[in-house]
Amino acid sequence: MALDYKKCAQEIFSHLGGRENLVSAAHCATRLRLVTVDNSKIDMKALENVDGVKGVFSSNGQLQLILGTGVVNKVYDEFLAVTGMTAATKDEVKAAAAAAQPLPQRMVKAMGDVFVPILPAIVASGLMMGLVEALGHAIPSFAGSDWYGFLDLVSATAFAYLPVLIAISAARVFGGNIFLGGVIGLCMIHSGLINAWSVAGYEGAIPTWHLLFFNVQQVGYQGHVIPVIIAVWLMCQLEKRLHKAVPETIDLFVTPLVTVLTTVFLTFTIIGPIFSTAETYVLNFAQWLITVGFGVGSLLMGAIYPLTVVCGLHHMYNIIEAGLLAGEGGMNIWMPIASAANFAQCGACLAVALKSKNAKTKTIAIPSALSAALGITEPAIFGVNLRMMKPLICGMIGGAIGAMFGAFMGIGANAYGVTGIPGFLIVDSSKILPYAILLVISGGVAFVLTWIVWKEDVPEAAKASETPKASSLPAIDCQPGAVYAPVSGTVIPSEEIPDDTFAAGVLGQGVGIQPSEDVVVCPFDGEISSVTDTHHAVGVASPDGMELLIHVGVDTVAMNGDGFQCLVQEGQQVKAGEQLIIFDRAKIAAAGHPDVVVVLVTNSDDYENLTIQTGACKTLDQVIQVK
Amino acid sequence: MKEFTYTITDPLGIHARPAGLLAKTAKGFSDTVVTVTKDGNTVKASQLMKLMGLGVKQGNTITVAAEGPAEDEAIAAMQKFFEENL
Repeated sequence: MALDYKKCAQEIFSHLGGRENLVSAAHCATRLRLVTVDNSKIDMKALENVDGVKGVFSSNGQLQLILGTGVVNKVYDEFLAVTGMTAATKDEVKAAAAAAQPLPQRMVKAMGDVFVPILPAIVASGLMMGLVEALGHAIPSFAGSDWYGFLDLVSATAFAYLPVLIAISAARVFGGNIFLGGVIGLCMIHSGLINAWSVAGYEGAIPTWHLLFFNVQQVGYQGHVIPVIIAVWLMCQLEKRLHKAVPETIDLFVTPLVTVLTTVFLTFTIIGPIFSTAETYVLNFAQWLITVGFGVGSLLMGAIYPLTVVCGLHHMYNIIEAGLLAGEGGMNIWMPIASAANFAQCGACLAVALKSKNAKTKTIAIPSALSAALGITEPAIFGVNLRMMKPLICGMIGGAIGAMFGAFMGIGANAYGVTGIPGFLIVDSSKILPYAILLVISGGVAFVLTWIVWKEDVPEAAKASETPKASSLPAIDCQPGAVYAPVSGTVIPSEEIPDDTFAAGVLGQGVGIQPSEDVVVCPFDGEISSVTDTHHAVGVASPDGMELLIHVGVDTVAMNGDGFQCLVQEGQQVKAGEQLIIFDRAKIAAAGHPDVVVVLVTNSDDYENLTIQTGACKTLDQVIQVK
Repeated sequence: MKEFTYTITDPLGIHARPAGLLAKTAKGFSDTVVTVTKDGNTVKASQLMKLMGLGVKQGNTITVAAEGPAEDEAIAAMQKFFEENL
């Protein structure tokens, strides 16, 4: 009878110490890999007895359950359904295992996960937008042309509808339906609502809905990031719970309907107002801050500016700038602060771009830095600096110093809308040189600090290739015809193996290893050609045709699997150093058998010459060579 | 082609040692292919790993077949081997 995957998943889950003990789940070809909070809460014995589970062990902070090819993916799917977890890649499981991170870091990571997939869109738009705006300011006649209108539309689209992109990406990260996520995003910037960018200049009273006890201003969430992510997170929680609670027959229409309606209602009545209230406070605070003397206010504002970008509040600063210019002889002293902050993020991002050895990081960081130089910092902040944290902070320091310098020099602008290099177009003509120095200071400080402080994390892929080899075995280059010790111990010629059949070479030529540890690893890169039901022996075939038998102990077949754990399956591709069998030397001794690990080339007749290396060996020392 | 069926009586089935001996015996007949079939899976008796991979246990019934110029001799040797060892 076929295995009941759902039952298997439920039984596994029931022995794991509850949902809160589970961090993440992934699977490879044969194993379900779980990261748990507390391994001691897991009932290993009971897990081994679950129907379908072929073996259980814990390594590198991961709990691994062997289920087998073709089974593990089905059980995994059911397991996700049972636990309500989202799919994790193996790398994510490893990352989670590496450190159960504190909440703020997890939030930053979630934000990064949301932004990385949409980076191509915002990098392209950011660059284009920066160039188009700069050209528009430089050549006034261009600003009114058809080309300007067209390019402005194309470049602004990704930013104008950013909440939609974010919502879709966030729905994927949080494990909800991405199309429902898209609907949430679209609702939040619906064209029937007043565009958040134009609220400041809106004529008359902003229309309001009266819903239950709430007065909801009909204003969109253009340019917002955090409220969108929170809304979609909420949506995913709702959706998952409803899927479980709602009977299947009506699930298809009830769940999406209730999910979307509830989420949007809560977003407009609670999440939105909280944020717009916070925004108003930030705005008032910012307005007050820049009046603080001796450049201190500017210093602080230059530092926190990128954080307000993270929160999507920067779209409101036009109000401040407009206010500054409105007065008699008004001067836009906000612009140098924003420029310093933006250019510092550019410097930090550029340092990452130049220092990074990772091609992918470089391809993101270089255009992001360019875009930031033109005043569009979202790609640099979300795509690079925030994810790595240190560059963001270095950028904040650079921005603070630059902004303070700007205040001392009395730099101001006669218009608003652009920062960074295009800022030269609007800065007061008497302050062009100080403005250039301001950019150099902010960008330079951020660049140098980042260059010193930021160190590239070792790419996870590189770590991942090491982690499966539990005892930190070095990666080895397998030479054709070479067999590397599957276990450490003392190598003896096969003639000295305490068994007539092995000693006579009936099964092939090779060696015996008197083991000093209890894990058999793969002796070369190859494929598992056979696994005995009793888990005490395994056959490995090399790509160049060598057939190797690794047989743990003599007469151990009589133990009928007790004391042996086989971690691989027939047909599985294996790398040198990968664990194959875990055996219990005490049990073998108790059963009265020698525990010598027999390593035989079963097709040794195919080779002219087989040499062995006897004596003490460490795992993966070469022990056999055939020619 | 000659063949016979045999029910394993050895408590441990075809494990490494008998598999090795069986493979060695089966290799002794040049140009004659000896196969072992269990539950529809057929392997060459000369291939030790495949033979072990069959997982033949006590009570299992297998079919041994030989085909080639020396098939009579081979099947006789196989029959003798199974009766003596398994």
